Amino acid sequence: MLYIRDLTKNYGSFTAVDHLSLHIPKGDLFGFVGPNGAGKTTTIRIVCGLLKASSGSVQIGSTAAAVGSSEMKRLIGYVPDFFGVYDNLKVREYMDMYGSMYGMYSRDIAKLTDDLLELVNLSDKKEFYVDTLSRGMKQRLCVARALLHNPQLLILDEPSSGLDPRARVEMKELLKNLHSMGKTIVISSHILSELSEMCTSIGIMNRGRLVAAGRIEDIMRQISGGRRIHIRIASEVEPALRMLKEQTDVTVESVREKELIITHRGTEEEVCALIGHIIHNQVILTDFYREAGSLESLFMQLTGGGAS
Amino acid sequence: MRIRLNPIVKKELQVTVRSMRLSWGLFAYEGVLTMAFLLALAVIQETTSYMSSGNIYSYLIYLFPVLAVAQVCIVALIMPIITASSISGENERQTFDIMLTTCMSPLSIVFGKVSSAVLRILFFVAAGTPIMALSFVVGGLSWSYLFYFLLAIILLSVFSGSVGILCSSFCKRSISAVILSFVIYFCIYILTFLPMIFRAIFGNGNAGESMLVLLFNPGVFFEEFFMQIMTGRSIFGPEQGSAFLSDDVGIVTYLLARGKVWMFVSAGCILALSFLFMALAAWKVNPMHSGAGRKPGRKKVE
Ligand SMILES: Nc1ncnc2c1ncn2[C@@H]1O[C@H](COP(=O)(O)OP(=O)(O)O)[C@@H](O)[C@H]1O
Ligand SMILES: [Mg+2]
Repeated sequence: MLYIRDLTKNYGSFTAVDHLSLHIPKGDLFGFVGPNGAGKTTTIRIVCGLLKASSGSVQIGSTAAAVGSSEMKRLIGYVPDFFGVYDNLKVREYMDMYGSMYGMYSRDIAKLTDDLLELVNLSDKKEFYVDTLSRGMKQRLCVARALLHNPQLLILDEPSSGLDPRARVEMKELLKNLHSMGKTIVISSHILSELSEMCTSIGIMNRGRLVAAGRIEDIMRQISGGRRIHIRIASEVEPALRMLKEQTDVTVESVREKELIITHRGTEEEVCALIGHIIHNQVILTDFYREAGSLESLFMQLTGGGAS
Repeated sequence: MRIRLNPIVKKELQVTVRSMRLSWGLFAYEGVLTMAFLLALAVIQETTSYMSSGNIYSYLIYLFPVLAVAQVCIVALIMPIITASSISGENERQTFDIMLTTCMSPLSIVFGKVSSAVLRILFFVAAGTPIMALSFVVGGLSWSYLFYFLLAIILLSVFSGSVGILCSSFCKRSISAVILSFVIYFCIYILTFLPMIFRAIFGNGNAGESMLVLLFNPGVFFEEFFMQIMTGRSIFGPEQGSAFLSDDVGIVTYLLARGKVWMFVSAGCILALSFLFMALAAWKVNPMHSGAGRKPGRKKVE
């Protein structure tokens, strides 16, 4: 769907994006992660035709259209990281204005607007002035606006920055919803955990370079070293501990009352076998879970110490 | 076929008509014009009462130029302010990026901005028409002049609007765009006289072809326009005993100074210059042309 080849952007002597190559397949929900200043916004602005690349190419679908051309712009719906709205303009008129900028007729836009506002849960705000909406609502309105011309690719730059937790959840639901409708979506964020639970694939960027990219499962498999697993047991700790220490793939990292943290270097199947083995040894398990931050630690590792 | 309005024009008109600013603006505009009208009337009355043969009616014809010049000045001042803040204002409000990712071409964005500003000015001019009409009734001028005046003021607003939009595309902040557009504006008014003055000082005292630069000067255009309306003659015409014009001015200048030719050619030149400015603004706004790209105005995340 989206092919980026050897994309480079220099600001004077500073390289904001450094030979970035990336392919995002159709129907993906792609998470674009990297610390602040990694070059995510720069990449996105180049794809949207808002910035001229120093070198490299961007292609969407099978069209040979150039970046910034009208055909290319029809294929992309863009929600910027920071955006404003106009005063004295109603939601309905806001949609109408942008629709007509894509050469659509007011009557068609009016029909579409109803559907899209329904989708982003703003139906009751149709006659409100846009500058009176909350930030979360503006963001969803901006998504609705970006969908007006039925683009094949929806790009959102840091969609949840500046939103309260509730608005974040709503935004996440909306994006999942859109993804299930078959849209290809690219989301950028500097927070990995925000993306890891909804994206199908991610790309990790640092200092202008793409350091890892692929499907979430593949990336998880790449994680070097052990996998931290938390175990909580209800029975005596001693026999369980003894048993775990006998396992070749397991290192016990810490023991705190009834909670053990271990690292397991084996495959997924071996982890399953371990659970069976523990239960078989009359140890009563109440919890057995993999540490959620494992992707996070990869991220920290890849983006170097100064990531935050 | 359905007629499609430029989306920017449609939106700006919607917003303008809705805002209280328009009502107050119209009120102020009418106020200034009425003051000018009354002041002119008082001056005429005063002057004629001193003259023995005081026939006030023959002087009332001067009501028209007073009101017209007042309108020209107001338009010339307001228009650059409106357009100079248009693109940099979008940029400050962070709405411009979204506009650029739509299918609007930079040229149609610039056109839309200028024409919505021209339409806004026309609200004011239309509101001033009754007072203008009064000067026609008591002044006894032909109604067709009112129409010509409308065309001239549209020309002026297109020109000053294009200067404004050009500055708006170059400046990040609206305020600097407004200042820059006034600087450019007055340069066009004043510097176009320079070739002629140089020629007059260092040459043989004859302005000749160096006068042609004045075709681009809206100030000279309006001087000529009012001269034509009030007297039917050209400011460059031989009847005026013009110092610029002797026999060896050069054939082009000589031809231009006949009848109304200068006025029309000048209108064409000013219009062409306006389109040049708009095209330049569109070129500058296009992200595919400017090397580093516009850095969008960034707001702190709250
Ligand atoms: N117009 C510009 N001029 C100079 N440097 C810039 C410009 N825009 C961005 N940069 C730099 O490019 C780098 C990447 O920025 P950006 O793409 O916004 O990062 P991200 O979105 O990943 O946080 C940053 O170091 C930033 O300072
Ligand atoms: Mg960014």
